[in-house]
Amino acid sequence: MPVLTPALTFIIFGVGAASGALGALLGLGGGVFFVPFLNLVLGFPFGAAAAISLTTVIATSSTVSAGRAGKQLINLKLGMLLEVATAAGSFLGGVTAQFVSQSVLQKMFGFVAAAVAAVMLTRIRRRNVILDPSADPGVLGGRYYEEESGAEVTYRVKRLPLAVGASFIAGNVSSLLGIGGGIIKVPVLNAWCGMPLRAAAATSAFMIGVTATAGAVIYYGHGQLEPALAAAAVLGVQLGSWSGMRFGAGASAKWLKVMMAIVLFILSAMMFARGGR
Amino acid sequence: MRLEQAVGAVLRAGVTISSACMVIGLLVVLAGGEGDTARVLLHAGIIILLATPVARVVVSIVQYVTLRDWTFALLTAIVLVELAASAIAALVFNRRL
Repeated sequence: MPVLTPALTFIIFGVGAASGALGALLGLGGGVFFVPFLNLVLGFPFGAAAAISLTTVIATSSTVSAGRAGKQLINLKLGMLLEVATAAGSFLGGVTAQFVSQSVLQKMFGFVAAAVAAVMLTRIRRRNVILDPSADPGVLGGRYYEEESGAEVTYRVKRLPLAVGASFIAGNVSSLLGIGGGIIKVPVLNAWCGMPLRAAAATSAFMIGVTATAGAVIYYGHGQLEPALAAAAVLGVQLGSWSGMRFGAGASAKWLKVMMAIVLFILSAMMFARGGR
Repeated sequence: MRLEQAVGAVLRAGVTISSACMVIGLLVVLAGGEGDTARVLLHAGIIILLATPVARVVVSIVQYVTLRDWTFALLTAIVLVELAASAIAALVFNRRL
C-alpha cells in the first residue's frame, strides 16, 4: 500500500477526473479504468483499489440519478425490483472478496475487461420503443419523452427472470472487482429484455448506488478504504463526469469507443500477465 | 410523481453534504492539519456517501407503504435487509482485525 502523501492525493484526484470524464463520455462508470490504474500503476492491493473505486461508483450513481429523477428515463419500479438481486449478489461478492487471492481477482478483471471491450465494439443498438402513445407499458414497462423521435415513447419489459439473473451476476462482479456492473446489465436489458438503451443505462446507473454500497460497506469495515484517498477519488470523478457530460456531447462516439476498446484489451492483457505470476 | 421527487431530493442532499465534508477534510489535510478534525470530516463524508443509497431505499419503502403498494414495499424492504446484512458483515470483519 503506497504511503499517503499530498502528491498521491493529487494523482488520485487527477486519475479520478480522467476516469470520470471517460466514463461519462462512454456511458460507463469509470471504475473499469480506475481499478487497474491504482492496482497496476500505483501498486495498491486489489482490495484497496476496488474499495476506492466503489465509493466513486456510489457518488456517480447518486449525482447522475438526482439530476434525472423525475425525467421518466429511470424506471424506478424495475430498478427497485432488480436491486433485490444486485444487492444480494453484491453482498456475497463483498464477503467472498475478503477470501479470494489477488491473482484470481486480477484474472477475473482481465476477463471482464476483455468482455467489456468486445461488447463495446459490437454494441447492439436496438430501439425497442413503441411510438403509439396509447400502448400499455404493463406493470414494469415505462414511458418517457424521447428526443430522437420528439415524442412520448413506450416500452415493455420482457424476460424478467433473465434481467434478475443478470443483475445478480452484475452485483457479484461489482463488489469483487470494484466496478459498477452496468456493463453487464445494460446490454442484457437492451438486447433481450425490451428496454431502450437510454432507459436501460439510466435505470442501471440508478441501481449501482445500492449495489456498490452493499460492497463498499464491507471493504470499509475491513479497513481497506483510506478515507482521504477515497475523498480525492470521489471529488475527481465528480469533476470529471460533470465536464464529460457538459463538453463531451459533440465528441465522435465511434472513435472514442474503438480507442477505449483498445485500451481495455491492453488493460486486460496486463491484468492476465500480472495475475498469472 | 412524489416518489421520484423524494428520491431525487435525498440523493441530491446526500451528495452535497458528503462532498462538502470531503472537500473541507481534504483541504485541512493538505494544509498540514494532522488533528482529528480532518479524519472526522473525511470519515463523515464517506459514511454519508454510503448512507445516501440506504436513505433512498428507506424513503421508497415509506412511499410505497403510503401508496398501499405492498408488493413494492416488500421488495424494497428486502433490499434494505440485504444492505443491513452487508453492514453486519462489515462489523464482523472489523472485529476480526
